[in-house]
Amino acid sequence: MTWEIDRTASKMAKTLDVRGEICPYPMMRTVTALKKLSADDRTLEVVTDHAPALDTIPTQAARLGFETAVEKVGGSEWRLVLTRKREGT
Amino acid sequence: MSGAGSPSRHVLRAIAVWTLAAVVLVLAFGVDTEFARFWAFGLAFGFVLQRGRFCFASAFRDLFLLGHGRNMKGVLVGLAVASVGFAIVMARQVPIAELGFLPPTANVLPVGVHTALGGVLFGVGMVLAGGCVSGSLYRMGEGYLASWIAFAGLMGGLLISNYTWNWWWERSMSTAPRIWLPLSLGHSWSLALTLLALGAVFVGVLWIEHRAGMVIPASRPVGEVSGSVADDLRALGLNVFVRGWPIVIAGAVLGGLNVLLFTAQEPWGFTGEVARWAAELAGLFGAAPPPPMGAMDLPGCVLILSDGPVVNHMTFMVGGMWVGSFAGALGAGEFKVRIPTQRVRYAQSFGGGVLMGYGAGIAMGCTIGAFFSSIPSLAINGWVFAAFLGLGAWLGTVMIRGIA
Repeated sequence: MTWEIDRTASKMAKTLDVRGEICPYPMMRTVTALKKLSADDRTLEVVTDHAPALDTIPTQAARLGFETAVEKVGGSEWRLVLTRKREGT
Repeated sequence: MSGAGSPSRHVLRAIAVWTLAAVVLVLAFGVDTEFARFWAFGLAFGFVLQRGRFCFASAFRDLFLLGHGRNMKGVLVGLAVASVGFAIVMARQVPIAELGFLPPTANVLPVGVHTALGGVLFGVGMVLAGGCVSGSLYRMGEGYLASWIAFAGLMGGLLISNYTWNWWWERSMSTAPRIWLPLSLGHSWSLALTLLALGAVFVGVLWIEHRAGMVIPASRPVGEVSGSVADDLRALGLNVFVRGWPIVIAGAVLGGLNVLLFTAQEPWGFTGEVARWAAELAGLFGAAPPPPMGAMDLPGCVLILSDGPVVNHMTFMVGGMWVGSFAGALGAGEFKVRIPTQRVRYAQSFGGGVLMGYGAGIAMGCTIGAFFSSIPSLAINGWVFAAFLGLGAWLGTVMIRGIA
């Protein structure tokens, strides 16, 4: 399932679907979405079918203060859960 | 979720493709051993490019876009490996470099305005299209529709470059020097200087990465306990066929394959062949480009029009790269037909392909022929092309930020 309850903010995590996109837009659109995320949104889910993004998204997310968990959800499809690190950690 | 099927099904499909590729190898060997040799090299190059997700476009682009050097590090390692190997081969071809003879098959190309302009156009094009020529070839095998469109644009760009080749030949190429470092420095010092320069660029890449902020190393699965020989073999199989390769390993293997190919025949390159397809296709409509002046006497990826058969050894190289990447993607469960949803991507891929084609046409090669095979040839044209490729990639990066 693509929806997951974000308990701390008690609302649904936002999902960004970048399947079908060419390099480097999966990463660029993820960065744009992370920057637009409001302060009480703790997580963003990204669905991608572009394997190179599995290297670039975690690096860029970390620079913006997010940790990445990668999960393979099908033939050449991955779900990345980007979670905002707590203040001071 | 998608139609890729269960793991065992895609593995079976991959085995079927490898089996077919082996049958083609045997049949080709019966016709012409050269066909078989280039088919095998094509398969290997395509497979390694796919497994390493080895991308020259992102090598340059990501330095500007992200301050991220993963791909450039792989490229530099590949260049270093190939430089050592090429130097050994060339030292045997031309033992006394100072006599003034160039190694006949090395990519020592005329360096001039055409090299610089070709580099800029190619750099812009590869960033717009999201992949250079080799990148587009292996992504075609992975199922990216946009890469097929980029390839069509590439054929168009190569064709246009061949209409204008003689103009360039008269104004720039024919008088441009072919500068081979060993002529003035000897073999050893040329190699040492090249390796030193590659090392300096590597340090520059590390500096760019750290200036951009924290660096997250690529995540790899850890903590697998090996209980038996079977476990080890299974892990080895996973590392080769399923997990993405570490980039420096992919780079080193590509550099090594390039040395082997040079030892067997000539350095890696294929845009001359794609240009031939475009020219022959145009010929069907009575629009064949004029015979390119001087091309017969040049190495690298120039258009060589053939009056003979439609298929030659280079056809097997390009075909092998498609099949190798397709089989690699299937085996890893990474094959998927990917269709861009934004309409602008189609224009971007096609336009990027045209720019790449024109750039590769006048620079006498793409990121492979004019760069990955030229710097190891200890030739100045490789470095000039690379510098302007960087400039073009920077321009392209500014452009894609606007298209987002």
